[in-house]
Amino acid sequence: MTLAMAAPDPATVEAVPVPTPRPVLQLVGVRKTFGAFSAVERIDLDIREGEFLTIVGPSGSGKTTLLRMLAGMEAPSEGNITLRGELINDLPANKRPTCLVFQSLALFPHKTVGQNIEFPLKVKGVPPAQRKERALELLRMVRLPEAYYGKNVMKCSGGERQRVALARAFAYDPDVLFFDEPLSALDYKLKKVLEKELKDLHKESGKTFIYITHSLEEAMVMSDRIGVMQAGRLVQVGTPEEIYTRPANRFVSEFVGEVNVVGVSREGMRWTADDSGQEIRLALPRQMADAARAAVVIRPEFMRFVDAASTADNVLRGRIYNEYSLGSRIQYQVRVGERTVLLELSRAQAWRGAPDADVLVGWDAADAIVVEA
Amino acid sequence: MADIALVDHASAAGEQPPRSFAIPAGLRCASPVILFLLLGFVAPLVTVAAYAFATPRSFDVFRSFTLANFAEILDPANTVWMSFAWALAFAFATVVVLAVVAYPIAYGLNRVFGRWAGFVSVLFVFPLFVSENVRLYGWVLFFLKNGVLDGTLKLLGFAGGPEVLYTPGIILFGMAYVYLPFMLFPMTLGLAMVPRDLVDAARDLGASRTMIWREIELPLAMPGILIGMLLTFVLAAGAVAESKILGGQSVIMITHDIEIAFTYAQNWPLGSALAVLLMIIVSGLALLVMSKLDLDRILGRR
Amino acid sequence: MDTPGARRTRFFIAAWTAFVVLVVYLPIVCGALAGLSKGRYFAFPVRAFTVEWWQKTKDSFEIGVLVQNSLTIAAIVTVISVLLAFFGALAFARYDWKGRRLYQKLILLPIFFPQPVLGLALLLWFNAIGVMPSWQTAAIAHLVWIVPVVTLVIAIQVYSFDPVLEEAAFDLGASRLFILREITLPILWPGIWSGALFAFLLSWGNFPLSLYTAGADSTVPKWLYSKMVAGYSPMVPALGTMSTLAAAVLLLTGGLVVMLLRRRSAATQ
Repeated sequence: MTLAMAAPDPATVEAVPVPTPRPVLQLVGVRKTFGAFSAVERIDLDIREGEFLTIVGPSGSGKTTLLRMLAGMEAPSEGNITLRGELINDLPANKRPTCLVFQSLALFPHKTVGQNIEFPLKVKGVPPAQRKERALELLRMVRLPEAYYGKNVMKCSGGERQRVALARAFAYDPDVLFFDEPLSALDYKLKKVLEKELKDLHKESGKTFIYITHSLEEAMVMSDRIGVMQAGRLVQVGTPEEIYTRPANRFVSEFVGEVNVVGVSREGMRWTADDSGQEIRLALPRQMADAARAAVVIRPEFMRFVDAASTADNVLRGRIYNEYSLGSRIQYQVRVGERTVLLELSRAQAWRGAPDADVLVGWDAADAIVVEA
Repeated sequence: MADIALVDHASAAGEQPPRSFAIPAGLRCASPVILFLLLGFVAPLVTVAAYAFATPRSFDVFRSFTLANFAEILDPANTVWMSFAWALAFAFATVVVLAVVAYPIAYGLNRVFGRWAGFVSVLFVFPLFVSENVRLYGWVLFFLKNGVLDGTLKLLGFAGGPEVLYTPGIILFGMAYVYLPFMLFPMTLGLAMVPRDLVDAARDLGASRTMIWREIELPLAMPGILIGMLLTFVLAAGAVAESKILGGQSVIMITHDIEIAFTYAQNWPLGSALAVLLMIIVSGLALLVMSKLDLDRILGRR
Repeated sequence: MDTPGARRTRFFIAAWTAFVVLVVYLPIVCGALAGLSKGRYFAFPVRAFTVEWWQKTKDSFEIGVLVQNSLTIAAIVTVISVLLAFFGALAFARYDWKGRRLYQKLILLPIFFPQPVLGLALLLWFNAIGVMPSWQTAAIAHLVWIVPVVTLVIAIQVYSFDPVLEEAAFDLGASRLFILREITLPILWPGIWSGALFAFLLSWGNFPLSLYTAGADSTVPKWLYSKMVAGYSPMVPALGTMSTLAAAVLLLTGGLVVMLLRRRSAATQ
């Protein structure tokens, strides 16, 4: 549906400030402790209405606990969770307009696909005929054939069960949907297909999706915003672009993929590498003007082989010792002193010399990200 | 889904965090059973214990206290300790016999019978639902003069069946017969706890059959085997039907003495004292063995 | 690994098991023969077969009362034990609470207890509180040892029940009662049914407890025993065989129901 927009008459239109999307869920100072162990440390987060927010982090970083608090399965030890301004700390999960898609999907094994999907409708007291109609609608929405209505849910494949779990969640018609690593058990191809379908569903339904995964790749593909968690803390929240190009600290930059990190220290006006003493040219961000130490992060795709005809701001000497084919790109491991440097080049730029040759590798200061050490 | 996810319902549902005196769901569910067993199991045993200290040959329980009954039992002139000895000896022998008899079957149920394992299990469970006196009497019919064995042998031209009834040997046979399921099923559970992979790995590392059995299967199956042995011993120690039906008066078991004290002799305190001694031995052993076991692991594994 | 040694072992195991099965069912077969033989006292080989003893057993009024007693006791025991054991099993295997491990050991104690001694203890107890032994007290006696057994049977099913399902149902808006009715009970139903089956059959065939606590009332096993001791007639093995057959039929149909329930519920993880 497209709106035909006439060009506004500049004389009549007032300058209207664009409002920031209001938060549908808000966490203020939320903490969760289990005895002496703190699973989630003070979290402040505004979740915008209609966004696709992914929380990423390694296992044990607290993401599942955070999700469960939002969904109502756990109560926060400290802090407040509000839904559209109303405090919901003590609101039980069955009264919240939210729905959680579990990691194990939690499909009812003794019910058919149709019965599973209809379950929230049955709870609400919707009569059978209408339930069936809605269930068939939802089957179509998740791209399952209508014939699956009577099929026993345990006989479905992994991907099919994913779709049933989705349909069931939508049957509840929640305002916010939570996803606890639902795709982690699927094979690569199926995962890719479902990622795109989830994204489409998000766009079509306009609901708020909050997704948890340990795979940054999934997050990058689907999210409007990403929150990175480490040891119970939310260390950065931003768009995928921001997380990738301006990671807040070393943890986030390393989480985003294989990177090269060079620890540097200030010596007078220069910066030198901690391990070799070699001077490193870098572009220091404003907030680190007074820092004495830093970490220079260079993504493998910004590293290149330097030969007589080319230059780079920073050059290291080393020896190639491994080469990996990554499909359309090739990754090289180069031994520089004690460390390994990674390069990623397209096939067109592949190294044509000896496989274990001595080489020069380098990068430009503008391509590196400087973060706290 | 490997772990048993235990739930404290209140916090899992995001309800109000439980106040200090809210009763957890588990305790609430357990209370009817606990109450029933307190009244139906603990109370009778306490009564028996009380009677054990009552005046001999009387009924004034809870009003007298004397050790006379125990003195009478431990009096060397009294032969009732023989009943104890017989009962415990038979129980022990039954355990040994059944351990040997049941082990191959338990192994078969786990590793050999495959799809038929369920059916074979049912074959061994079914006799539990037939009262033991019916089954034991069948053996009487088998070993009787002109019974099945005797008649068949005579038919085949032999002299006749051995005089097997009313001997201690037949009692042992009867006990092994009756208590076989109680040794078999825990043993089967125990052997089910030995992962197939381990046996294969051990063989791959060069171990011989005997070594695998001794170093891997036996230790890992031990909880189940222990339960089987314990259960068999405890039940066999208190058995009486076998000695009565198959053994005649050749051996008097302790439970028989207890029964006589309660019925013919009308000496409840003495009977109670005997029962108390038996219970101490039996329940003491049971609690000792069970305290070393993790029931979740044994029953929860599939 | 199909070495000749392995195959030999498998053969021996199968042969040994078959032999033991034979031994287990031999007395039952003997009983069946005795109930069908014409002569008053059993002799093998059976000279003449007849169903007259079966007929007499079926027509006997006394035996009819016995059967009714046994059935009534078994029915009551089944209902009460399933109710108690259902919650007992949830406490055993599902909820984590402070005394759980102790509870698990203690609840099994009545199983690890010789039944005749338990029967005698209960007799004493009933007397001490002034209750006349009758078929009702026999029912209570059965319950004392059967409730723990049924708890165990249902607990085994509960172990494989995933609590996440209840959480998911709760998240989808259901009330506690709705969850119990729609999720928990249907999935646990095969275990409950197995427990009920066990309860009925164990009560039906129980001898030691009934012997001491039924008082003047008699059950089938009790009557059989009294006639074995004095007053034998082929009605005894006849009734014994009939009782066995009834148990077998019940076990078969009950087992089939359980299998069908399991297939439908597919609740194993």
